[in-house]
Amino acid sequence: MYKIVSPRIGVPGDEFVPIAGVNLDALIAGGFIIEVGTEKPKTRKPKGDNITTDKES
Amino acid sequence: MATSTYLSNPVVIVNSVDLTNQCTAATLTRRFAELDATSFGDTSTKYTAGLQDNELTLTLYMSYAATETYATLSSLVGTTTTVRVQPAAPPDSATNPGLILTGAFLAELPVLNATMGELSTIDVVFRGGVFSADTTAP
Repeated sequence: MYKIVSPRIGVPGDEFVPIAGVNLDALIAGGFIIEVGTEKPKTRKPKGDNITTDKES
Repeated sequence: MATSTYLSNPVVIVNSVDLTNQCTAATLTRRFAELDATSFGDTSTKYTAGLQDNELTLTLYMSYAATETYATLSSLVGTTTTVRVQPAAPPDSATNPGLILTGAFLAELPVLNATMGELSTIDVVFRGGVFSADTTAP
């Protein structure tokens, strides 16, 4: 998802919906839009119950 | 009879960026390659349409300020984009069509055109792309 930064594109803060053929990389490089919501969800570490350890006999 | 006078109404959008207030001239030419289809028995040359070869030329004030002309065009050189010109402000209609080139290529950008005591302007040419005319309001 992209958000508008520059009023030359639309209303700043609104979602930018690209039309066919638009060069998104150029818009990001020029500071017209930003990409948001692309972070991957953090994976949770397993709790202690699931940890197995090798013991030397 | 001349019926179109352009004062401040035309709209120019490059890669979704509204550059209307930086533009002083726009020429969109729709063109087809002419293929010679003349054959024996013909008494004059005949042509048939080949590939589209469209072209949009814009004259723009050069501005290096944030989100102005240079910021819009500098990352487009060597790539394709969508450009749109319109005789007057929206909405689209049969008498005010949105003229669009999708997939037009920007081969070169004059990054500096400086003359003493004058506002800097540049001419940019978008070539190729598929032409369409939007006559219906969204």
